[in-house]
Amino acid sequence: MQWCLHVKGPRDLDRELTLRSLAPKLAQAFGDAPFTHVAYGTEFCENLVASGAGARATYEAAAARGLGFTLLTPYAGERGIARIREQLAALPADAEAEFVFNDWGALHMARRDFAHLTPVQGRLLNKSLRDPRVTTIISEASLRGGGGSAAMGSLDALQRANLDNPSYTNFLARFGVHAVEMDWLPQGTDLSFADRGVRVTVYAPFGMISTARICMAAALHYKKAEKFQPGAPCRHECQSHDVTYTYTNSPFQNRDQEFLLKGNTYFYEYSDLMISQIAAESKSGRIARIVVQAELPMFAEVAA
Amino acid sequence: MSAQAMKVLAPIREIDELEMLLKSGAEEFYCGIVPSEWTERFNGPVWLNRRSNKGSSLETFAEMKALVDGAHAAGAPVFVTMNAPYYSADQVPLTLELAQRLSEDCGVDALIVTDLNVMLRLSELNLHARLHVSSVAATLNSEAIDFLLQFSPQRIVLPRSVTLEEIARITKAAGDRVEIEAFILNDGCAFEEGFCATTHHHSVGAFCTNLSDMQADFSWEGPRFTARRERWLRQNLTDYREWVWYVNGNGCGATAKGLPYGPCGLCAIPDLARMGVASLKIVGREASAFKKLASVRMVRDIVDRTRAGDSKLHVIERSIAMRAEPKHCESGMMCYYKVDACE
Repeated sequence: MQWCLHVKGPRDLDRELTLRSLAPKLAQAFGDAPFTHVAYGTEFCENLVASGAGARATYEAAAARGLGFTLLTPYAGERGIARIREQLAALPADAEAEFVFNDWGALHMARRDFAHLTPVQGRLLNKSLRDPRVTTIISEASLRGGGGSAAMGSLDALQRANLDNPSYTNFLARFGVHAVEMDWLPQGTDLSFADRGVRVTVYAPFGMISTARICMAAALHYKKAEKFQPGAPCRHECQSHDVTYTYTNSPFQNRDQEFLLKGNTYFYEYSDLMISQIAAESKSGRIARIVVQAELPMFAEVAA
Repeated sequence: MSAQAMKVLAPIREIDELEMLLKSGAEEFYCGIVPSEWTERFNGPVWLNRRSNKGSSLETFAEMKALVDGAHAAGAPVFVTMNAPYYSADQVPLTLELAQRLSEDCGVDALIVTDLNVMLRLSELNLHARLHVSSVAATLNSEAIDFLLQFSPQRIVLPRSVTLEEIARITKAAGDRVEIEAFILNDGCAFEEGFCATTHHHSVGAFCTNLSDMQADFSWEGPRFTARRERWLRQNLTDYREWVWYVNGNGCGATAKGLPYGPCGLCAIPDLARMGVASLKIVGREASAFKKLASVRMVRDIVDRTRAGDSKLHVIERSIAMRAEPKHCESGMMCYYKVDACE
């Protein structure tokens, strides 16, 4: 199994690149391991898409260290697609790099114009519910026998996505997509589809709950009547702060459940149980790679 | 596509709503169906479409057939949502069987689909019903339109977050290859629906509105988190929660006349018509019959004025007057689309 580190830029590679030094909690569960791959970019915000020069510099720094390179890209409107295009164009024409798409338009553009890059389906295109308010509770209730056979049928569906349809993975293969990325689900994750040869990457320790094109942080500098407009430019206000929501209004017992907001995207942090589930599944060979994001993955470009 | 061709798309839950919605100006309908074949196998948050298994959809094929026949008699097509974010392998055979019955037995005109695997499978079945790509598929750019054309959709529904500038580029790129549908009223999503992995299960409700009542703590990443900075962040959070309140239909309320509250795109209808948008979507299959009626009347009023060639300024004034609460329109938080009145 490969370990991949999500970095902000080339400078993040000038340090000891091991699990123990950068993600000690994960090292406890998995043992120490060196990072062999680097991920760069953003999956969630078209306003955080870095320059082509930034992508190129990080690619070259990774290549110089013998590390594999993956460019992460977000869902995007027209302007965002143009910025993604600039990034892809900045990579060397012979680059051995992966390109993670979270937007079908990005895949379409990249297959047409940058066919040398290896496309990987991003985790936003994996549509499994991951709502930590309730899916864990539904899972536990179903396993206790509440709700009868329909509940078990539902739990089975909740632990999967459309990836367990061979017709879908065959469809992806037509576009050269043989690898997919995912979050670990609070209700448990069924990776049996990986047995058909699909390479699975799992992110840790944060999963995405929801994301939006209208960003609370981006509105900080606007007058009230001009706040929260789709397409409004931002100044990367998200880089200055995080918000932690606590589920104080839960109708269940999980009133200490936290939801983490950075910029336009809400995340959950994996529980110890979820990390142990990933560790157990990694031994089955169904997980090809884990991407470690030591911080909430909303990185703005760092000046060289 | 002209203003004359742009349709008013209304939600419907039962045949009893059909006549009044037609009389109010609805020109197309969409609905859901959740038959017992589904609920016997799946419950909780595992829904056949984007609404709860209970209370938002028709329940039998006989009801659907009657609705479709009634709408067709009035010249209006009926589209059916099969727009769950995904269907697992165990769900797909039943989903395709339901699609086949809706198309061939009930005569529905189109199926509204999110999951690319189901689009693929449906395109292989050559059904009578055409394919509409759901807004949940998050088609945000013209490259995505080109990608989706491989499934031969009749229509693509744009998410509510697309801007007028983006719609203009998308409709231009789409040309006459595929129809474009845009949101116009009653959408309550604060997040990007296609990338929101939460459920609206009755035990918890919508995550976006749920957050407004939670404890929120800030952590500052700069050198000093001063009291002034925290007040600044807190004020922005308060403003954001107010915006979510607006998005959620101004707290799910109604005006003194019982008209639906909440943001809309009424002022943008002349722009959307000029861009060639084929259909204007009113959200709310689960809403009361009166809310649906009032919503259709409002949208149809503005569409008729646009068709008659009223100036954009007049349309804007009329829209604000119809919403009946100018102070809300002035808040800046009521608009799906940023309209340039002087354009």
